Amino acid sequence: MRRLMGSIIEADKLSKLYPPKTKAVDGVSFNVEEGEVFGFLGPNGAGKTTTIKMLTTLASITSGTAKVAGFDVKHESARVRESIGVVPQELTADDELKGVENLMLLGKLHHVPQSEMKEKARELLRLFDLEEASERRVRTYSGGMRRRLQMAMGLVHSPKILFMDEPTLGLDIQTRTKVWEYIKKLNVSGLSVFMTTHYLEEADSLCRRVAIIDHGVIKVLDTPARLKERLGGNVLILEVSNGVDLSEFLRTIPTVSDVSRDGHMYKIKLPKTEDAIPAIVDGITSRGLKITQISFLKPTLDEVFLEVTGRTMREEEGEAQESWVQNVNIGRSSS
Amino acid sequence: MLTSGGRQADLLGDLSALTRRALLKWIRNPAAVLPGFFTALFYIALFGNSFNPTGIVPSNINGFQLTSSELEEVKTAILSQTFGGAATYISYLTAGIICLILVFNMAFGGIDLVLDRQLGFLNTILAAPISRASIYFSGVIQNMVKAMALGFITFAVAILLPNGLMLGKGFGVVDFVGAFGALALLAFALSCVFTALALSVKSIDSLVAIVNFATFPLVFTSTALFPAADFPSWLKAISNFNPITKACNAARLLMINGMLSSSQQISFGWDLAYLAAFAVAMGVVGYLAANKALAPR
Ligand SMILES: Nc1ncnc2c1ncn2[C@@H]1O[C@H](COP(=O)(O)OP(=O)(O)OP(=O)(O)O)[C@@H](O)[C@H]1O
Ligand SMILES: [Mg+2]
Repeated sequence: MRRLMGSIIEADKLSKLYPPKTKAVDGVSFNVEEGEVFGFLGPNGAGKTTTIKMLTTLASITSGTAKVAGFDVKHESARVRESIGVVPQELTADDELKGVENLMLLGKLHHVPQSEMKEKARELLRLFDLEEASERRVRTYSGGMRRRLQMAMGLVHSPKILFMDEPTLGLDIQTRTKVWEYIKKLNVSGLSVFMTTHYLEEADSLCRRVAIIDHGVIKVLDTPARLKERLGGNVLILEVSNGVDLSEFLRTIPTVSDVSRDGHMYKIKLPKTEDAIPAIVDGITSRGLKITQISFLKPTLDEVFLEVTGRTMREEEGEAQESWVQNVNIGRSSS
Repeated sequence: MLTSGGRQADLLGDLSALTRRALLKWIRNPAAVLPGFFTALFYIALFGNSFNPTGIVPSNINGFQLTSSELEEVKTAILSQTFGGAATYISYLTAGIICLILVFNMAFGGIDLVLDRQLGFLNTILAAPISRASIYFSGVIQNMVKAMALGFITFAVAILLPNGLMLGKGFGVVDFVGAFGALALLAFALSCVFTALALSVKSIDSLVAIVNFATFPLVFTSTALFPAADFPSWLKAISNFNPITKACNAARLLMINGMLSSSQQISFGWDLAYLAAFAVAMGVVGYLAANKALAPR
């Protein structure tokens, strides 16, 4: 991640009322640092898109203020528009135009000089693996290709900050992983990113900080690591072949915060890091004991989300996600 | 809002980029262009023959038989006295049909703009640092170009049709420019109104409802299809203020007569002035309405 400088977004008690009484966003305040990837998470209807619309000058602000790239969203909207790239939740490329024509049009509307624009379009088409499809009408694109084109369209004018509303919605795992790579690459080269997503592991792997919003209110805002830490951190569960009490030994390991024993089973809390696992395993085997089962429970943002919103993303999405128990069964013997 | 940040926004550049995109879409879609030709043909052929008032003159009135030459004389008299001296009814009708086609194409051309809003394309360009005026004027121009193209096609079809449009003696390039100049002023004014309307509504349904409600009275209180001479006086009064009347009267005067007498020139001049004033007024009204419609909500 790039070194951070000032705030690229400053939102202060931002609110949006859709008449007569839908409080879509209800007084949210946050800062996004320059060079940061900031994640906005929340269930359907939480107010994510509405927040993006206000910050990108597309929706009026009912109350509160916001600054983007140092410009007031309400009073200096033209300056804000020069600084931002937007990748909306829906796909808005023109079906009847070719991929490259969509890019060139967006470039023109952002007043990128024609000569620069050609080079930029080529670069973006390469970055998003759309070179071969660039001369085809968007009508013939697959959903994944459209998403990638949409991201390219948000970047034609080299914005300071990119707003992305669920950029990986509906993409398969491979494409999603690729999009993450793009985002990381762009961020390394200095782009700040404000993104919403439904995929919590996505937020976990991409975002320096995340905010969880529900019913228009920010419930928590922190780094993914600290949010997970608040839930008590990682737990290592061991089953050992012999009944000798290992608690004393386990407590001597510095990063272990707590050990509880139930017969042959040990529950070891490792709140900050899992680095101690090899030392634990070595210590046990060097005592001539066998580990018959080992599992490592690592809280994910799913648990954080559940605690904060009272809902799981699974309920939200109606789709099964992998369990938060990463079962590392190393079999009956460890020797 | 003409400035974008510190520097002057490139209004003409934005305008040409947006207009080019719209027209590219239009040209690429033959399904949108081809029916225009047939619409023109049907309108001219159907209205020209089924409405043809000279075709309904009876040759036998209460037992009194007109010879065929007498019948021809009656028909000529009708055309010269009621239809401004047109050689055929289609000669009278063509300018009116072009107006009709302008009105309907203008009105429904807004559907593309509503689709741009519904499909999110409008938001994409609204988030770009372009002047809002370029969005409005590109809508005005794209609608105008599409409709005027059909106007030219209609004109050509009318000329090529047997017993079709017989242009007045001496009708030349200047007269062509004059006739289509008057029609273009009407097209511009209507385009301003309907573009602002299309930018303001949320759904195609409401656009179509308003358009249906507005266009029929507009057309049928004009002299597009029939001269005002036989209108009841209230209709005549309305028709006199109707810009469609002005545009088709002006275009028709040139098409039928070619060379204009000095009194005809004066009448043409007044119609043109009226149309120009109307176009400016609608341009401003439409601009204000569009600005409101494009502001963040
Ligand atoms: N144009 C509108 N008019 C009225 N209410 C609206 C409008 N747009 C959004 N809302 C309401 O505002 C609330 C927040 O909507 P928003 O689109 O911001 O949610 P979101 O967090 O982006 O949800 P999702 O995950 O489903 O995209 C919802 O209750 C929604 O019904
Ligand atoms: Mg949304």
